[in-house]
Amino acid sequence: MFAGKIDKSRYGYLFIAPFFLVFFIFDLGPILYSFYLSFTDWSGFDTPSFVGLANYERLLQDTLFFKSIYNTLVIWILSIIPQLTIALTLALILHEKFIRGKHLFHAIFYFPNMVTPVTMGVLFALIFDWQNGSANKIIMALGIVDDPVNWFNSPFLAQLIVASILMWQWFGFNMLVFLAGLQSIPEDLYEAAEIDGANKFQTAIKITLPLLRPVLIFTMITSVIGGMQIFDQPLMIGKGPENSTLTMVMHLYEAAFVRYEYGYGAAIAYGIFVLIAVATAFSMWMTKIREKKEGVS
Amino acid sequence: MRKSFTFIMMFSVLIIGVLAGCSGDSEEAGSNNGEEMNNENMEPEDFEGTLDIWTFFGGVEGMAESFEEKYPNVDVNVEVFPGDQYQTKLMTAIQSRTDVPDIFDLERSYMGKFINQEFVANLSDMGADELVEGQVEYVKELGTGENGDVRAISDHSSPGAFWYHRDLAKEYLGTDDPQEISEMVSSWDKIIELGQKVYEESDGEVNLLSHYGDVFNTEKQHQEQWVQDGKLVVDPAWKDIFNNMKQIRENNVDAKLGYFSGGWGDALNEGGVIMFAMPAWGGFMIDNEDGKAEGKYGIAKTPSGYYEGGTYRSIYEGSDNKQLAYEFVRYISSEEWQNKNLEETGNMPALTSVYEENLDSYTHEFFGEQKILEQYYDLVQDVPAHEAGENNNDISTLFYDAASSAIDGGQSYEQAIEKFKKSVANGYPEIEIE
Repeated sequence: MFAGKIDKSRYGYLFIAPFFLVFFIFDLGPILYSFYLSFTDWSGFDTPSFVGLANYERLLQDTLFFKSIYNTLVIWILSIIPQLTIALTLALILHEKFIRGKHLFHAIFYFPNMVTPVTMGVLFALIFDWQNGSANKIIMALGIVDDPVNWFNSPFLAQLIVASILMWQWFGFNMLVFLAGLQSIPEDLYEAAEIDGANKFQTAIKITLPLLRPVLIFTMITSVIGGMQIFDQPLMIGKGPENSTLTMVMHLYEAAFVRYEYGYGAAIAYGIFVLIAVATAFSMWMTKIREKKEGVS
Repeated sequence: MRKSFTFIMMFSVLIIGVLAGCSGDSEEAGSNNGEEMNNENMEPEDFEGTLDIWTFFGGVEGMAESFEEKYPNVDVNVEVFPGDQYQTKLMTAIQSRTDVPDIFDLERSYMGKFINQEFVANLSDMGADELVEGQVEYVKELGTGENGDVRAISDHSSPGAFWYHRDLAKEYLGTDDPQEISEMVSSWDKIIELGQKVYEESDGEVNLLSHYGDVFNTEKQHQEQWVQDGKLVVDPAWKDIFNNMKQIRENNVDAKLGYFSGGWGDALNEGGVIMFAMPAWGGFMIDNEDGKAEGKYGIAKTPSGYYEGGTYRSIYEGSDNKQLAYEFVRYISSEEWQNKNLEETGNMPALTSVYEENLDSYTHEFFGEQKILEQYYDLVQDVPAHEAGENNNDISTLFYDAASSAIDGGQSYEQAIEKFKKSVANGYPEIEIE
């Protein structure tokens, strides 16, 4: 009856309409409107007036913007390496059969992810307070230092602290993603390896990691996108010495919602958009190249 | 999750923008444009209706209650939006010209951007000149627009002074008498010398000040304005401020506790630091459970008079309730309200007459028998009167950021100024910098 025919009933559109309505109003609308705003000098009071490419010219000369890109990258790298290492190690350990109370540990390691980033920022700011922070109290009590360390006076330490917030917040989430990936690896591969006399380390390197590749790629790409948008945690910590913890999105926030330069803020947003798009494309391209080299399809 | 903040930002930009487009020509809605209100000839009972007020300050609710008591036929709706979202909220409403309140509050730090806009009613036209006539000079000037008209009115002044722990002062300064202590800390040189002594005598346990930021806070209003004729002007006096800050840090005069930080609050309540440069409205930071803070502090004069913060009230030009709104503003400008406010909340008045009336009688539980208006009144009159200005406050903050980062990093004033100019250039490309 239906052979060779697709039912093109108009009712189908009704079913997909809710998504597209929401998408047009709340996603595409703001995206296009802020693109328009990036060509104006709107301050929030008068009607926006067109200024051509002036905001983008300013963006290219804005040393602070380039600094914020650098800061974001440093913070991201400092957080992503330990974060994925810890997540993967924990996932491998918790995947073992002999571990008891696995689910309890899953929950515990995931907890930090449920705390709001702002709370986390405040918490770390208090822990690493110069005069009253518990971090200093502990290392002074242990006799490691004589005078309290002014953590937020060193650009590197400040970046490291922000990075550790991110690491602490996201390792549990990534661990769960890895665990899901591990569970999809067929048991018989391990059994075969065991019969062949492979030890735990060898199975991890030769079987687990290669088969975990798709999950690793997923994690890498989402963390590139997420890492570029670091905002709440450093906002609570402050800009840091020499603006060292000022991230790209914080820079956008300051322009648009502190100085109320919506036009310039929108231009920064588009700058960030281009950077994230390039970074994402790059990481996808990288994984494709490696796939070809290794002949994995 | 991580996406959401960027998204919210983009979205609110959109909403503000879309609403801006709808503004149309509803501006004519206001009645009584440019007419004097003649409210003086009316009785409180004659006023009727509902008044909408938006604010970021919870205390306005008490103000509204007091107004309703006196004006039995008036309802005042106060909406409080705490935190820094208030400004965005207000701008959104004004852009869309919908649901704008009759009266909206403006904070000192950003009021300069608002008061010269056309949606802010000219209060001088309604007769407000006489309301502010007797106000402290700086309070009056901040509410004045570019062309000399009154655009915003405050019911208080917010002078700052040194609040000191009486017990620590007795122990380390040898007295807790406000006059004597004011004399001991009347210049930064004296403070630095005294601070060194305190540090040595207490074996490093007690500091005279909490943070070198007190120098900046108390002196920052005494310099030339940052931007003149579109050019950045760096008053040489900033160098003295920098050097005093630096010396305070180097000589252990301060306890390195950042203003309004956790440790600072502990020191304010429990000791370890003798004195704090505090605005008069800072009392909420004091823990007075079971009256334990009674008579605990004294007030001494800072080397220069200064103020911190301030809440101003403007009337929306498009309001169709202007007469009633003006009556509210008139009420809070009166001696009657400001006396009551001083008595109930401890907020310093805006009118010099209220200061003078209470000079010999007003005491506050934290300060025992001390007649604290004497110190505040002298200080508040020492504050130079400046227009609110669009960016002056923000640029001062950039200076402080640069200065403190240079001091913490052991750098010189010249290096601090270099950093400062760079951040001004980044944030305000329209300002000419040499």
